[in-house]
Amino acid sequence: MMTLKPEATGIEIREATKDDLPAIMELERTCFANDAWDTQSMRSEITAKHTYYLVAFEAGSLLGYAGLSKLAGNSQADIQTIAVDPDFRGRGIASALMRQVLAQAKQLEASEIFLEVRADNPAAQGLYRGLGFEQIDTRKRYYQPDGIDALIMRLDISMQNNLQPLVLGIETSCDETGIGIVRGNTLLANIISSSMDEHARFGGVVPEIAARAHLEALLPTLEKALAEANVTLGEIDAIAVTNGPGLGGALMVGIGAAKALAVATGKPIYAVNHLVGHVGVDILERGKLETPTVALLVSGGHTSLLLVRDLLNDVELLGETIDDAAGEAFDKVARVLGLKYPGGPEIDRAAVGGNPKAIRFPRGLMLPKDMEKHRYDFSFSGLKTAVARWVELAESKQEEINIADVAASFREAVADVLISKAVAACVGQKVPRLLLGGGVVANSRLRELAAERCAENGIELRIPALSLCTDNGAMIAALGAQLIMAGQPASSLEFGSESTLPVTTVQSH
Amino acid sequence: MTNYTLVIDTSAGTTVAVFEDDQLRAEVNHDESMKHAEQIGVAITQVLADAKIIPSQITQVVVGRGPAPFTGLRIGIAAAKMFATGVRAKLFGVCSLDAIAWAELSARKESNQPVLVTSDARRSEHYWALYSGLSESGAPILVDGPGVLKPAALEERFAAQDYVITNKKISAADLGKVFIAQQKDGTASSVVDALYLRDPDAVAPKVLRDFGKRVSG
Repeated sequence: MMTLKPEATGIEIREATKDDLPAIMELERTCFANDAWDTQSMRSEITAKHTYYLVAFEAGSLLGYAGLSKLAGNSQADIQTIAVDPDFRGRGIASALMRQVLAQAKQLEASEIFLEVRADNPAAQGLYRGLGFEQIDTRKRYYQPDGIDALIMRLDISMQNNLQPLVLGIETSCDETGIGIVRGNTLLANIISSSMDEHARFGGVVPEIAARAHLEALLPTLEKALAEANVTLGEIDAIAVTNGPGLGGALMVGIGAAKALAVATGKPIYAVNHLVGHVGVDILERGKLETPTVALLVSGGHTSLLLVRDLLNDVELLGETIDDAAGEAFDKVARVLGLKYPGGPEIDRAAVGGNPKAIRFPRGLMLPKDMEKHRYDFSFSGLKTAVARWVELAESKQEEINIADVAASFREAVADVLISKAVAACVGQKVPRLLLGGGVVANSRLRELAAERCAENGIELRIPALSLCTDNGAMIAALGAQLIMAGQPASSLEFGSESTLPVTTVQSH
Repeated sequence: MTNYTLVIDTSAGTTVAVFEDDQLRAEVNHDESMKHAEQIGVAITQVLADAKIIPSQITQVVVGRGPAPFTGLRIGIAAAKMFATGVRAKLFGVCSLDAIAWAELSARKESNQPVLVTSDARRSEHYWALYSGLSESGAPILVDGPGVLKPAALEERFAAQDYVITNKKISAADLGKVFIAQQKDGTASSVVDALYLRDPDAVAPKVLRDFGKRVSG
């Protein structure tokens, strides 16, 4: 059974012990004023062999608990109770407790789970229905002394889909407004509105223009995503949103939007890491993420090499660019060559028929002396300058410049460094898998070289569909769904944007 | 049918309010000008709780369109758009400076003197708008602006004019009152575009290289 680390989440969920009894009884009396169990009954519940009780804590305070009863040899299990501190409702604590209890029931090979819920508690009924429970009966005036009916609900746990939450993801970390919808591991919609064209005349992403475009694109993108997934906002189980890393002003548009949507619809919100989202997106194509894997994420804003042992709990940054991102280098060199923005596809086109060996441009941080400090780091600023110098020199000598050769040679240098380091990381970390992500993955030479070198080294290469490689909301929704299915509680409403959010923080609270 | 109106303005701090028809039910204010993203969700939750209503009861959302420094302003507008969509409420926009004008004009109904509202636009500039009295229902009447100017230029522009200058704090309660008056006047607007009044800071590179004639291959 997985136990969540307090430092990772703020909220800790673990199995209850008899030492938790005083705190549980206090909450029991708060939540069930008229029909609280007595201390003796609660003690025997918690300590019995056939029961499984979980407690949720934050900063030493008990926020909630839930209990399951499952007799050995019986395929039926019962949810005995669930309670959440009234001041902390709406944060996904009940949902997290239920999901972990259900996971335990499944492990104990229960096939059906039953519970009773007060007829006058629509919020709880909604939670149970969201988890796949169905009402099968009513017990008249079951709750005394209030005289309230009990609804009997049942979950057929063999129905896997019951535990697959419907999550809407919002991504606004750079120049794409992405809204995606997933059900568990399944992609339902992935709508992207890009402001790329508006940045073209500036030769790079202008943060203020990107942020303005996000604000305009929010509602049309949301509408398209809901239509494509054929779901309504009411059906959504949770909202996920990128809170970093990325451009601060751009991130904040998505955060403001996601929080208001969460409050308006009463759904829990999950603040997730953009880069980890790029890794997790593979789940939408393969149903799961094969781990461990090395991930190379290359875009206009990032060039990062990650070692992922576990998507939610163990992501390590092996290295990243110490100056320009690879995509930025493409944009800048395109400008030097008189090509349009974005530079990646332009250089790809210009390089057709060019000789990649015509000019030996420098490979950043590849010398033996760099290996100690920057084994897995990248640098593209020197390469960009080298191309500019080469062009200036040729111009000053009135030489004819073969654009195809320059483009092909530059592109070769970038792809060579990226793939050399990624493959070296796989070999060095003894990880036989490489996953690519980010917009630069569209580059044909990068893909070609990755395929070649991975094959040579017995490394399995994964390149998700391009629409899932570039920034998108589906990957954010997918990561949110993974967190929910792992029983992680929702984020609070208090998180902000984190421009430099480290990859070790998968979820912000 | 009772109208429940949620008012959001993030042009300075984060200020939110809830009205039941014409009556203010609750207001929540956070004055920090750099914490909008952190505070918006908590502020809306709080104001709804204080007003003792649930989100789905909201029938109208009103948002301050600025003018204001951009980053914070956008958070309120993004939130208003999404909240309105989330509860299927109507969405309206009001110039944020109207709220300040309303506070000033409604406090001194006797005087006919125009009111020049200013707010900090950073970079040693002011946003401004000139108002002259209140409409029949009590909405400030805009006669000039809104615009953005350096203090000296602003002074020069209105040198010949008799006016009272004010730079009061923006409150969602005041903004809501402006909106309610506009709705009675039939001048309420569903436009919620941000009033930026300044172009993004970005300079296009001057000369892109042209290899037109010497390109081969």
